[in-house]
Amino acid sequence: MKYIREAILCILIGTIAGLGVYGFFLYFHIDIYGWNLGLIFAPLAAGYIETILANRIIGENIGAISAFFLFIYTTFYSFILKNPTLGFNIITIGSIAVILQAAFPTSVNYIIFSLGFGIASYVSGFFKKVTNHVYNKMLGYYEKYVLKEPRMLDLEKIEEKANYEVPIFNEKESNDNINNLDFYFLTSSDLTNLKHEAIGIFNTHAIIRKNKKLNLSPQELENKALYELKKGKDECLIKLSEEIKSSGGNGVMDLEIQYGLIGLGGDSFQINAIGIGVKLFS
Amino acid sequence: MILTSANTLTNKEIIEYKGLVTGESLIGANIYKDLFSGVRDVVGGRTSRYEEELEEARDIAIESMKEKAERLGANAIIGIKISYDNLGGTMGNTILVTAYGTAIKYE
Repeated sequence: MKYIREAILCILIGTIAGLGVYGFFLYFHIDIYGWNLGLIFAPLAAGYIETILANRIIGENIGAISAFFLFIYTTFYSFILKNPTLGFNIITIGSIAVILQAAFPTSVNYIIFSLGFGIASYVSGFFKKVTNHVYNKMLGYYEKYVLKEPRMLDLEKIEEKANYEVPIFNEKESNDNINNLDFYFLTSSDLTNLKHEAIGIFNTHAIIRKNKKLNLSPQELENKALYELKKGKDECLIKLSEEIKSSGGNGVMDLEIQYGLIGLGGDSFQINAIGIGVKLFS
Repeated sequence: MILTSANTLTNKEIIEYKGLVTGESLIGANIYKDLFSGVRDVVGGRTSRYEEELEEARDIAIESMKEKAERLGANAIIGIKISYDNLGGTMGNTILVTAYGTAIKYE
């Protein structure tokens, strides 16, 4: 208690430094497959700077409290404010309750409240509305007292969201395009009734990155994903036909189309088209 | 319309290969389904809601495939493959159901 002011100062400087580091990582989009590295480095920087200062000023470690603040802030900002899907997720709310419980064991009784609150929030979206309200209020104060003028709105982003509509996939056109390539796509693995010559195995793929930047609802995101997957499938099949044609074939047998997730946290779709290239004789 | 996963139709003569036909549908996040399936995970038992959704998704995919085959003038689809792939999503339960096969005309 002797060095309480110095300790608070160290925590404050550590927290500010951590926020600066997090801002730097966000501004320059230093991500790996959409996962911002600031989530790791910001709490680390905060704790490191706080510990160095505390050792110099007070002469002892004060427990890297700013790292904990940064952890809460980055989790809250990245997984709730910036992510509409996780904003409604009961797991995220539960995780926050666990973090708080670890930090303040005496408030364990509030877990029951948090659980009830989490379920209510999951159903009604209440928590997201509250966080949005608090965020906008805080932003208002920031503009009023720090910036002293209203912050310029990102009109481009607002317009992009307003004008964005999940495109409708044209099934008929897609099917016509695939079947008008002067190429035989055959799912059968036995072509005994057709005179043919096998060329070899062919495999093409398409990787589609999930777009999480647009603030779409889970339903819109799913529709968009389905659209992208169908488009990716067509791309894969066209590529497969081109590769086989360039090897002298005019068809593929035992065709397999596979879908899966790839990337850190499954942030991209992978579509594969695999088959045996064949030359079919009329 | 004959639908078969076999490579050919026995006792029938394939007179024309019409092309590839595909159908896809997606089962997405649903709060009630998620909550109740979560309860089922704890207490055990079959999650009939999921089963119904999977059946519905499979039917949509097959129907889409059939419509395309009819448009091509086919009267059968051979070598049908149906697959179910987990594509992550909110609670890891976005499932893509795909059906595809070779549309043919037989006599």
